[in-house]
Amino acid sequence: MDILTVRGLTRRFGELVVLDDVHFGLTAGRLAVVAGPNGSGKTTLLRCVVGSDRPDEGEVLIDGKPCHETDPEVRAVLAAALDDIDFFPDLSVAEHLELVAYAHGGAAQPVAEILAELDLDRVADQLPVTLSSGQRQRLTLASCFVRPRRLLVLDEPEQRLDGRGRAWLADRLLREKAAGTAVLMASHDADLIAEVADDRIEVGG
Amino acid sequence: MAATTSAPPSPAPRAGQVRARLRRARRRHHETSLGDVLTDVYVVVLFVAMYGWFGLTAVRRYLDSPAGVPGDPGERYWIAVAAALAATGLAWRILREAGPLLVSPAAQSWLFSAPVNRAALLLPRAAALVGATALGAGLLGLGAAVVAGPDRPVDLLWSALAGAASGTVAVAGAVVAQAAPRDPRWARLVDRVLLGSAGAVALLVVTGHLLDRPVPELSLPLTAAVAVLGVPVAGWAVRRAYRALGRVDRASLISGGQFAGAATSAAVLLDPTMIENLVQRRRWRSIGRVRRRPLRRGGRFAVLVGAELRRLRRHPGALPVWAALLLTMYAVAVALPASAGSWQVVLGYLAADRLTGGLRTVSRSAGLRRTLGGSDTLLRLAHVVVPAVGALVWYAATLPVVRPTVGPVDGLLLAGIVAAAYRTATRPPMRYDGPIVDTPVAMIPVDLVRRVVRGPDLVAVLVLVQLLLT
Repeated sequence: MDILTVRGLTRRFGELVVLDDVHFGLTAGRLAVVAGPNGSGKTTLLRCVVGSDRPDEGEVLIDGKPCHETDPEVRAVLAAALDDIDFFPDLSVAEHLELVAYAHGGAAQPVAEILAELDLDRVADQLPVTLSSGQRQRLTLASCFVRPRRLLVLDEPEQRLDGRGRAWLADRLLREKAAGTAVLMASHDADLIAEVADDRIEVGG
Repeated sequence: MAATTSAPPSPAPRAGQVRARLRRARRRHHETSLGDVLTDVYVVVLFVAMYGWFGLTAVRRYLDSPAGVPGDPGERYWIAVAAALAATGLAWRILREAGPLLVSPAAQSWLFSAPVNRAALLLPRAAALVGATALGAGLLGLGAAVVAGPDRPVDLLWSALAGAASGTVAVAGAVVAQAAPRDPRWARLVDRVLLGSAGAVALLVVTGHLLDRPVPELSLPLTAAVAVLGVPVAGWAVRRAYRALGRVDRASLISGGQFAGAATSAAVLLDPTMIENLVQRRRWRSIGRVRRRPLRRGGRFAVLVGAELRRLRRHPGALPVWAALLLTMYAVAVALPASAGSWQVVLGYLAADRLTGGLRTVSRSAGLRRTLGGSDTLLRLAHVVVPAVGALVWYAATLPVVRPTVGPVDGLLLAGIVAAAYRTATRPPMRYDGPIVDTPVAMIPVDLVRRVVRGPDLVAVLVLVQLLLT
């Protein structure tokens, strides 16, 4: 059965139809990439899936049940890294990740392991304001991996990553798939898409 | 190394445990003692009490002065009812725009994405919000009763109770609306009923006044009736809000967080346009798409004015507010006829200011001015046409209730009103590298004061001129 099912999802801003009757399903261990030109509604689709925005019509199902963002079970399954993330100015990098790990029951990869994997261990005690944009992006991505997940939603995760970071990302996504995580991702990186994507969801075409 | 994706073997912690952990982590970096918190509370209470009392005394003194000589008591009573309805409607609209429940963007990203009970996570801030609103609205009710000069102390109690109950119903109702999956129709209806009935009451009183048929005062003690009905309704609304807490989703919390951010910046910089910009952005997004039509041919000036008129037609709030200010002027002239002239200057400035959207935009963006071409003077003149004509029509429409004859002073006041709106709309951007004044409140940049008073300073001068020359 699909982990994620999207049926007839429509989003309008007044008379402007951004997403029109979008349908797709995503099973465990597969990665679907949302493709389309700028302004085609990729981010809006991801925001509707994670509950940061409300669709005007249609539904999002997780494990066949309607996805309500307020349901703790949904939040336990779904890990997301979108562009709306913000940081506590007075918590260090490591403390951010420890907080997420604790709030999710403390069952995932240890924070230290993720910090090392993402090359964040050097800045573990730094406050967010001191990080570069690339390091912030790594911290955002790290927040998805210190907690349990069965569905990963990423909005252009390759943005602001250097060459090494992009190589790590491709490898990580392949491992996520191998571990049975379903991944829904928007991206403009043709190489990354070719390397990791199983399905393609066209929007705005 | 394999990714771990299994479900958590242990349940997620309770909301209180997560909050405590976050508090502990933050305390490691900056310690806030109980004494610091109490000092902050003391300063806020002191300021509210001091300025609240100052405001009450000023309003009472004004109403007792010759300028505050009231009109017919019945008409004044109903104008006060219309004002209370309008204030409640505006408060309801602000509560709905703000959330009213909101959390910081950081908390949304790192806390509210966890499988922690949503209702328990929101409960402390919901309780604080309801409590603070009830207290604030109760104090406002008490202040209104003090200003009105009630005959009996029990009236003060009824008024405070009516205010507290109304505030509680409004904030609890707004939480219930926030928890609805889509913007509920009843919430929009409440907004329209409150503002519509305020307008209808004011219109009836003004029409009755102009036809020489004053509306009689209601014999029913209105505040007592509102209090008696409002308290049980408030209890019911709070219960409904409590049950709705678990359904308040991230989408609505994000929306409130943006509003809170803009409100904080606006308060710090004393610049309400920041909130206005956010509200406008949301409204434009809700419109989404507009019909394209070619602009009429002509010189640059004519095309710019044409574009300004087209934007005005698409502007969701400018003309209704302009018209509401017209009705307000008539209502003020009925309730406080002796000071109608001063109010005409203030409300005329606000009406013209509502039409200066284009002028604000071209004034704050050098890039836009470069793109449009022509001199800055031409661009500003083209964008001052609409507010000037709007002010002229507004002023002419309100003259019958202010002065029986038209004289040179009206030309002076009208020009002054347009100039004040122009000054406000063309405020230069804030500079933080200028001199700073050490005041008992805080260190305040001189440029901040200059920005805040630019526009209202001319209005104050015009009020004085009006008092001296008419």
